[in-house]
This record gives sequence, structure tokens and C-alpha cells, in this order.
Amino acid sequence: MRAPLRPPSHRRRFVIGLACALLLGVGVSLALLTAARTAERHQLASREAVVTLRALTGLIERAEAPPPAEEGGFADELAGLDTPAEEPAEEPAPDEPGEAVRRAAARFAAAHPELRSVRVVTFEGIRLEASTDPADTGARAAPRRLEREEKDVYDQGQRLRAAIDENREAVAGGGSPINPEIAVQELADGGLSIAGPVESGGATVGMVQIRTAPNPAVRPPAPAWLPALLAWLAPVALLALLGLAIGERRTVLAAAALVLLAAGLFGFSRWVLGVLEAERRETARQLAAHVNEQREIAGQLLTEIDSTGAAPLDPLRWDVDLYRVPRELVTAEGTLDEGRLGEQIRLDAGRLTRSVAVLAVLALVLLTFIGFGGAAATGRSLVRYRAAYAYTLPAILAMTLLSFFPFFYGIALSFTNANIYNSNKPITDLWVGLDNFISILSDFSIARSTADGLVINYNNFYWTLGFNVVWTIANVVIGVTLGLILALILNTRGLALRPIYRVLLILPWAVPNYITSLIFKGMFHQQFGVINQIRQIVGLEPVAWFDGPLTSFAAVLTTNGWLSFSFMMVVSLGALQSIPSDLYEAAKVDGATRWQQFLAITLPSLRPALIPAIILSVIWTFNQFNVIFLVSAGEPAGATEILITKAYRLAFEQYRYGYAAAYSMVIFLILMAYGIFQNRATQATEAIGE
Amino acid sequence: MNRTRSGELPHWPLHLFLLLMVVITLYPLFWVLTIAFSGGQSLSISDLPPDAALGDRLRAITPWPKHFSVSNFRSLFADQPFARWMLNSVIISAATTFMGVFLASTAAYAFSRFRFPGRRAGLMSFLVSQMFPGVLMMIPLYIIIVQWLGLGSSYVGLVLVYTVTAIPFCVWMMKGYFDTIPRELEESALIDGASQATIFFRIVLPLAKPAVAVTALFSFMTAWNEFIQAATFMNKEEMYTMPVGLRFFVGGFSQQWGYFAAGSIVAAIPIMILFLFLQKYLVSGLTAGAVKG
Repeated sequence: MRAPLRPPSHRRRFVIGLACALLLGVGVSLALLTAARTAERHQLASREAVVTLRALTGLIERAEAPPPAEEGGFADELAGLDTPAEEPAEEPAPDEPGEAVRRAAARFAAAHPELRSVRVVTFEGIRLEASTDPADTGARAAPRRLEREEKDVYDQGQRLRAAIDENREAVAGGGSPINPEIAVQELADGGLSIAGPVESGGATVGMVQIRTAPNPAVRPPAPAWLPALLAWLAPVALLALLGLAIGERRTVLAAAALVLLAAGLFGFSRWVLGVLEAERRETARQLAAHVNEQREIAGQLLTEIDSTGAAPLDPLRWDVDLYRVPRELVTAEGTLDEGRLGEQIRLDAGRLTRSVAVLAVLALVLLTFIGFGGAAATGRSLVRYRAAYAYTLPAILAMTLLSFFPFFYGIALSFTNANIYNSNKPITDLWVGLDNFISILSDFSIARSTADGLVINYNNFYWTLGFNVVWTIANVVIGVTLGLILALILNTRGLALRPIYRVLLILPWAVPNYITSLIFKGMFHQQFGVINQIRQIVGLEPVAWFDGPLTSFAAVLTTNGWLSFSFMMVVSLGALQSIPSDLYEAAKVDGATRWQQFLAITLPSLRPALIPAIILSVIWTFNQFNVIFLVSAGEPAGATEILITKAYRLAFEQYRYGYAAAYSMVIFLILMAYGIFQNRATQATEAIGE
Repeated sequence: MNRTRSGELPHWPLHLFLLLMVVITLYPLFWVLTIAFSGGQSLSISDLPPDAALGDRLRAITPWPKHFSVSNFRSLFADQPFARWMLNSVIISAATTFMGVFLASTAAYAFSRFRFPGRRAGLMSFLVSQMFPGVLMMIPLYIIIVQWLGLGSSYVGLVLVYTVTAIPFCVWMMKGYFDTIPRELEESALIDGASQATIFFRIVLPLAKPAVAVTALFSFMTAWNEFIQAATFMNKEEMYTMPVGLRFFVGGFSQQWGYFAAGSIVAAIPIMILFLFLQKYLVSGLTAGAVKG
């Protein structure tokens, strides 16, 4: 277990260090490359499917809206869909659009062996307009009304419609689209289910859904072992050889290892970039070919459907992202836009360079750690203190995974716009920098004057902060005063029934505070609450406690006062009982009055116990979630919300995780600042006291 | 003795004040008892006619049931899923207690007995973790436990969350106690050929029984009384813990005050008894922790 007597070999350490560092750098790069290539292939599959969907949608939209109806849009659509159901025999003509849609869908599906099914849903009348799904035959054949168990299909369409409206508003307001307008879902067998909207005259009138068979393009890329092995082992072998010449000179060894590490990683990342670029070009080529093929098929079908005069298809709008913004990779002539492609490849290169830079730093740390003997020392102490580490491991592991990691993850979240819909995306995609903090802290519109006088914006951060501070101070003052008075009384010598009073007065602390809060919520009920009934006996009007900020504050303050004075009383009583009584006797001999005794003996003796108790109760009250959440629930309109209940609502009622995390971070910083200030202040008073 | 000092004041004003405080303290508790044993779901003790006389009004605020009935308790368990919620609370609290005591006692033993690199950092990190604000932790924890691990509405998820909440306090508390146990006992056992594990489980843990008991009760109470995390992590009604269930009775548009009151008594009585026995340790533990921080 003791350190070896033989001096450590620097040469060996640096060779091992370089091997490990390069293994980390090259290995992770290789994994990233494989992941990127796989993602690229999956994306190609989904982009091809989207192109197919959009081509089909183009056909359907033209089939649904015959030339004369084109300007009429939605209204004509209604007429066209409603009439056949009511009077099918007399007017066969309006049935035409539906028939045309079915024909288009069937032909389209026939021309695409890779399509498992095509379904067209019309919102008006909740109809399944067309379907080539094998399940939709016989009695279930289209057209028909969607059934109850197909509600999710209809809901999906409604989601798309809502997304389009919302995005349109967001874009008009100068923002970027929020919700996807095309739903892509991977099926269990590797195929895709893709749904997109059907529009007519600017309104979303239906939805097209296709299911594709697994795309043969999606196959995992073969990992390139040879270049990786070369990039890993060549520098290591070189360092071993150089080591023969360098000998045990540590600085030179470190420099050589550093150069070789940099060279190895740089060389490998160039190669990775090349592979990635080739992959990009290949998928772009395949995509362009797919677009051209669709253009041909759809163009032919359009003439077959016999929609003379229908607007020509618009293949430029087929290759789109999920917000239906064209990616503009394929030009109108059907060739690749080299500028676009180059731009994407440059973006890739930038992203890759950043990852490799991070990796290089990690690899360098590893190299230094191993090369300069850190690893050896750590390994020795791990072995030597293995019992201690084994005992602490479970707790440390649990704390790391569920306390420290979440804490840092929470900090990272506060710089993102994560919400319930996008929280599975990588954090870098959601990064918004300091936006959350700026929007929380720079909003000073606490109140504005209107015709009815001053209107306070209760949702403003500074209102909540101010309320939180007032709430804390009021509670601590009440708690300390009441607790101290009761403790002084209970400390009176010779007072009868002292133990009974003590036990009874401790009870509020023993009741779980969520129960206390719910009890008080009941007692403050406007109509049936016992507090208003007591007021009426005294001749006062009943009060709607939670309708006004002041009365609501009074209610939560009463609740918290009731449940918090016991703690202060117990702490003060303990401190009072430990004051030796001869101090008072000596004071009496010196002729001190009772008030002088209190100031000179009682208060100073209470301080060591009271100060920590006050610090604690400030923090408890500042974060007294249950009382606020359960008694007033922030009523009226968030006026009595404190910071943490507000953060909770942002996170779990509005699902704005990123914003709420930023809000919580601000709370944390406030508490930290308070802690530091408190520490200073306590030290200062202690210094004066001594 | 201060006999002469206290003798200067008459005691009756003190008693008067104490009595007033006792009435204020006990009133809400009697109110709950009254509602629980009223046999109804009403929030008021007795119904008031619009032209109620003073006697009726006084009766309405007297916390004593008009008709004594245990039907609320009976149907709480028979008609409501309260037994299930109670079982959930018991399982979760027991598992938290077990995990908390196991993790905290092993770690505290190492922190107390061994001097190893990282010891100080480990102890400090436990202390620092106590300062992480609950809500800040809840957002990432919710994403990790519910969205990544899929442990929403499960015992495991909530037990993990509670255990991590309880560990730091328990570690510090147990470490303090282990420090007071003389090392000679272990050394002689070591000479007799006992293994590290034997020493820990056969000698140290039995000696540290009082600390284990306090740690266990603290972990138990953490889990038993916790409301908001349970409310957030448990979405399914059959997985509610008692606090969430009690809120369910009177939250939103639900006004089942009788069930709430009866359930509160069932949930609070055991914990209140434990608390009254334990509060001495809690006070010293809390204030000691605050001074260290």
C-alpha cells in the first residue's frame, strides 16, 4: 500500500496519459461522428417523407378547390362539404371535390410503393375524406365521420391548426414560429407517420396524414475504425519512440505529448469534417433527386385528376422545416443550391470545431493529470482509503445524481427557454442567454395610473419581492415578540401550571403546517368561516378575506403567526432557563431595577440562541410555501404570492421551465446575499459583544 | 432563587394572557375535532338562519359537535381512497427512513472515523446542498425523474427525492454522534479480528441507537409531512400521499370538510406525538446546524 520506492517513470506516465487523452478525444469524436451521420440519415428519411407529404398536400389542395371556388375559399368549402350529406341525390355536382380528393389520394398512394397509407381528414363535419389505409375498407371506408376512438387523429389536426394560427401571430409580432406545423412521429417498425395541414384560401381546413415504410436510407453508418485507430495509436507510438531520445526530462516530455495530442486531435477532426461533408452532400443529392421525382409524379397526377386551370404545383415549398419554412436547398430547376449547401457545411464545421475544442481541453486536463502523477496519487489514495470511500460512496452517489447534478442542470435551464414541449431537446438548442433574467429583472412596470386610479401589476417581480420581504419581516417580528413574551412569562418562578401551558403552547409547532394552512383556509371562508361568524357576534360585517390584498395578507399572516410562535418560544425558554440565577441576585444586590436586569442580563444571554433561531425563521418564512400556496393561493390576482410560490406556478402551471428556473435562481441569489450579509452582521455584533 | 423577584408581580395577569394564548392555540384544533366528529361535510359548526339570535350565533362558534358521530372516519376508510393514500404514505415514509438511515449512517461513519482526501469537501458539499432552494431543485428534478426516468407517480421517484432531502441533515447529525463514541472499542474489535463491516454493523450502529432513532424519525417526518413535491410528482389519484389527498378533499371546488378534518386527525396524531417527544433534539439539532452554517 505504500508508495513504490522506485522513482516514478515520467516517460511511462506521459505515454499512458497521451494514450488516455487521445482515446477520450478520438473516441468521443468518433461517437459524435457516428451519431451525426445517423441523425443525418434519419433526417433525410423524414425530409423525404415531408416532401412526399407536401407534394400530396399540393395535389389535395388543388383537387379540393376546383378553379371557380378558388377565391371563395373556406365558405365554398363548407357548402361543398355540407350539402352532399343533406341532399346527395339532387345535387351530385358538389360531391365532386371529395371524389377528386379520393381519386388523388388513391393515385398518389399507387404511385408510391413506400407509402403504407394516406389519410385525408376534413375538419368540417369531422370527416375522414379519403383513406388508403387497409383498415379503412368495407364499412369503415372513406368518406365517413371520424369515430370516437379516432379522436386523437382529429385532435392532431386541431393542434396543427392552432399551431399555424399561433405561429402566424408570432411571426406578425416580429417573433419566430413557436409550435411545429408538421407532426413527425417515428413508428415502432422504423417507418414514419407524418401529418400536415391542408389549407384553402388561407384557412386550415383539413389534415393529410401519411405513413411510410422504413426508408432504406436509414441504416447505421459503419464506424470508421481504421482512421480512428491510426489517430489514436500513431501519436502514442511516436511519443514512445521520442521518449527513448528524451529520457526522463519531464518538461520536454510534457511539451512533446502536448504537441502530439494537438496534432492527433486536429488531424482526426479534419478527417471527421471531411466525412461529414461527404455525408451532407450525398443526402442533399438524394433529397434533390427525391424532390424531382415527386415533382414529376405529382405533375403527372395533376393532369390526370383533370383540374384544368388549377394553380401549378410549387415544389419550392415542399422541402420545408417543421414550421413549413422552405429550406431552399433545391432550386426551381431541381438542382442543388451550392451556396445553401456550403452554408450548412460551414455551420457543421463550426459546431464540430466547438465540440472538438471542448474535447481538447478535457483531453489536455486528462493528459496533465496522468502525466504529472495526479492519477497515480489518486489511484494510491483510492486504494489506501478504499474503506472510507466505500462507506461514503452510496450517499455521495445519491447526492450527486439527485442534488448536485439537478442543481447545476437547473442553473443551465435558467439560460434556456425550455418548456414542457421542448424539454427533451438538447439544452444548446434552447439557449437564450440572459434573456430570462433580463425580462424578470428589467421589468419595472409595477404600477400604472388609469382612470380608476393606480393599478398595481401584481405579476411584477418587484411587487412579489417587496411583498415577500414585508411578509418575512412581519412574521419574524410577530413570532419573536410573541415567543419571547411567552417564554419570559413561562420562565416566571413559582408560576402555577407551567408545564401544562408549555405543552399546550407547543402544539401549533407539532401540527403539520399543510394541515394548519388548510384549517385556516376553512376558518377564513367568507360565508361559512368561523372567523366571520365571530366578527358578526361582535357586530362587524363579514369580510371576503381573499378579495383584497390587505385582508388576504392579514389571513396568511394570522396563519403563519399561529404556527410559528411556538418555535421561538421553545428556543427562548431554553435559553432563559440556562441563565444562572445568581446573576440576577448579584444584580439585585447592586440595586439594578428589573428593566436594567432585563437589558444587562436577559437579552445578552438570549442572543446566542435567538440569533440562529431568527436566521432560520427568516429563511423558513421567506420560503413558507405551504401557507401561501394553500391559504391565499396568491389571491387576489397574485397579490399575496411570494417568490417561491410564483416560481412554482411558472414552472408547474404555466410550464415555463426555463423562465421559472431563472426566477428560482434569482431567489437563490437573494438568499445567498442575505446569508452573506447575515454572516457579516452576526460576526460584527459578536465582536461588539465581546 | 428569584422568589423575591417574581413575588413583586401578581400572577393573575400572566395567567390571563397565557389563557388567552391557550384559547387561540387550541381553538383551531378543537374546530377540526368538531368538524371531524360532526358527521357532515359542512364547514360551519351549525347552520345559521339569516335572523339568528345571539345564542345560535354563540353555538355556531363553539367548537363542540352538535351530534357526535364517527361516520366521517368510517366512510373516510370505507368510501374514500384514504386507506390507499395512507398506505402510500406509510410505504414512502418507511422506504425514505430506511434509505436515509442507511445512506446517512454509512457516510457519517466514514466522515467521523476516517481521515481521507475529500473528507472536508464532502462534508461541506452536504452542508451547501441544504442551501439549494426547493423550487429551483424541483424543476430539474421533475424533468429528470418524470420526463427522463419515467418515475412520475411511482414510489421510487418520490422516495429518492425525499431521501436526498433528508441525507445532509442526517449525515451531520450522525457524524456528531459517532464522534462521541470512543474509538478504543473498534480498535480492540479490530485486534480480535473483526472486519470493518462487522465493526460497523455489530458495534458502532448498536451504540449509536439514539442517533439512529432521531435520524430515522427525522427522515420519516420529512416524508410523512411533505406536500408540494408529492403533489407535483404524483399525478394519479391512487398514488396520492396523505397530504395530497387531504388537499384533494378541500381544494378547488371540492368542499368535503368532514373528510378533511377526520383525515387530518388520522394523519397528524401520530406525527404530533412523535414530535412532542422529539422536539428537544430537533431544536438543538437545528440551531447547531445554523451556527455551523
